[in-house]
Amino acid sequence: MNASADPVQLVRSRRILVCVGTGGVGKTTLAASFALQGARLGRRTAVLTIDPARRLADALGVHELGNQPTVLPRARLAALGVPESGSLSALMLDMKRTFDDLVTRFTDSAEARERILGNRIYQHVSDALAGSAEYSAMEKVFELSERDDLDLIVVDTPPSQHALDFLDAPRRLLEFLDSRLVQVLLHPAFAAGRFGFRLFQRGTERVLHVIERISGVSFLEDISEFLLAFEGMSEGFRERARRVEARLTGPDAAFVLAAGPARESIRHALGLLERLDSAGVPLAGVVVNRTHRWPGGGPTPDCVPEPGREAEALATLAAALAAPGFDSAAAARAAFAAADGYAAWVRADAEATAELAARVERRGGFVRRVPELAGDVHDLEGLALLAEWLFGAREGP
Amino acid sequence: MPLELASLLDRRLVIVTGKGGTGKTTVAGALALAAAGAGRRVLVVEVGPEENVPPLLVPGPQPVRVGYEGRELRKGLRAMRIDPYEALAEYLGLQIGLRGVVRRVLANRAFRQLMDAAPGWRELITLGKIWHLEQARDAGAPRFDLVVVDAPATGHGLTFLDVPRVVGSAVRAGPLRRHAGWVEALIRDRERTLLLPVALAEELPARETTELVARLRQSVGVSVDRIVVNAVTREPFPPGAADLDARLARLPADLAIPGAPPPAVLAACAAHLRGRCALNGRWAREIAASTGLPVVLLPRLARGVHGPDELAELAAALLARRPLAGAA
Repeated sequence: MNASADPVQLVRSRRILVCVGTGGVGKTTLAASFALQGARLGRRTAVLTIDPARRLADALGVHELGNQPTVLPRARLAALGVPESGSLSALMLDMKRTFDDLVTRFTDSAEARERILGNRIYQHVSDALAGSAEYSAMEKVFELSERDDLDLIVVDTPPSQHALDFLDAPRRLLEFLDSRLVQVLLHPAFAAGRFGFRLFQRGTERVLHVIERISGVSFLEDISEFLLAFEGMSEGFRERARRVEARLTGPDAAFVLAAGPARESIRHALGLLERLDSAGVPLAGVVVNRTHRWPGGGPTPDCVPEPGREAEALATLAAALAAPGFDSAAAARAAFAAADGYAAWVRADAEATAELAARVERRGGFVRRVPELAGDVHDLEGLALLAEWLFGAREGP
Repeated sequence: MPLELASLLDRRLVIVTGKGGTGKTTVAGALALAAAGAGRRVLVVEVGPEENVPPLLVPGPQPVRVGYEGRELRKGLRAMRIDPYEALAEYLGLQIGLRGVVRRVLANRAFRQLMDAAPGWRELITLGKIWHLEQARDAGAPRFDLVVVDAPATGHGLTFLDVPRVVGSAVRAGPLRRHAGWVEALIRDRERTLLLPVALAEELPARETTELVARLRQSVGVSVDRIVVNAVTREPFPPGAADLDARLARLPADLAIPGAPPPAVLAACAAHLRGRCALNGRWAREIAASTGLPVVLLPRLARGVHGPDELAELAAALLARRPLAGAA
């Protein structure tokens, strides 16, 4: 294993850590745990969360959407081994406001700003346009990474059907602004002279007009107005999008993939791995959350008890458990059934995660398996416990 | 007096929703399989970019593809995936003829980018297609007895169902308003339509489910009569042995049990299951209490869910008319 593929090194040396993965795999908790570890290593750390469980949000001191990091109390962190030089702050992304801030930054007049912010199409943009939710998360990360009072930014990416949309979001936005259709809508006179365009334009206008007729909404007018207003700010926006993308795919940043051991989750993770590859984003490693391990290490049995020795095993355990008024035979059977069922989970996890682990390791990435804990992780102590599994102290065979 | 739930098989449209990872696809698959087994003509509808249910119903090395055209996966059980652009092409084609023009324009990359920017239409056209399928008649009889929708994860699921209402209130006249009205009427029809939320008995999914139900009651007006709680760890110990893991942990460490792991390992396995079972029980009760709805528990299967065998096992629990928790 090389140095860069070690989660401790990652937290120690990188500036941006991006946790990617589909919903329901504990990505938020993982991001928070990485951030806590950063603080424990003496770094000034911020964690950007999208949708934390309420108690975790409370533990992190973020109670509502806000666009500035909330710093956790020094005493609280010191108890968890965070040195004087380290700090931890958290923020829960307000996507709409981040996008509004961006518009404000790149419009040259108050009038232009109002025209965009008041436009119907724009008002849906923060939800619908080309992965803008993902885009605003990345924009916020970039903004935080420009600050010199933060050493490490850990980001929990938005849950989305395409969990990597945020990577494409700037490009898609730019592509859209550059597209011929937009140019036609903006400069119909310019495009009108070109034959291929005319054909396309007529067909498009026809369909758009039908949509308008059916819907009674002045879709074309809204779109044109939005684009005209947007054009004024598009250069600044374009430049910004390029820098965000460069920062996220550059050497300062690292991506960690979160997955669960369920087959569906593994399938999604393999898909994400491919998309990261095709986007040219190197993956630092994968964390498989909520896996089962065979207690005490050693090989996982196929059957508990072994076939053919059931009677012996039952007699021995029942005798050992014997107590007055206690059905020790039933208890012994239940104990074996529990171990047998648990072993099945361990085997299923190993089988389901084998391919993913092999592929990540071949790329020089790390693989960490975090066991399913008996309870939910919802406080800083829980995050610290999780960190023990993530950063090696409890990594078993 | 235990409350008896209405049969899931008597609805026309069941929309299965839930946060990612809760097993919504499994529940949709189990329901479809059970309904087909009971002689219903069933259509499973995938909404979203992936086909998840068909590979569960027909497992194999090559995942089966159903597409927009759909495919008969077994007797009485058909599956399809609604692609919004396909549905839009079909709708516009029906509205204005000129299918060729419509298809050419819809295939244009820049037009797609423009449409990608336009809000709401995907949801509306998808629901419109579902309405159309529910209405489909062959020789006077409904083509499908039951349509099962594997809906988007909850956040989007709500927007999804609310779009016809929003369109209805924003658009004053015209065919779209009329069509949105039909779709909204189907969604709000308490006889025909049911929303079936799937949750896990853990903190985050439990809270999300509570919020989902509250918001559904506020705005969408779709019928919800139970919550499915998936992957619940069964009570691992027999009555009178609630402290079995502690008893195992107290056994001599060097006790050799023929053909079985040492007591400490047995104790660890037992303790884990007891912990999961307690956690699941606690959040299942919490879901029942905070939503005021009966909760149907599906067991966590040790071997995972790979195909029709497991779906059938889950379907038995899913169709239980007496809720196993909640309703208290």
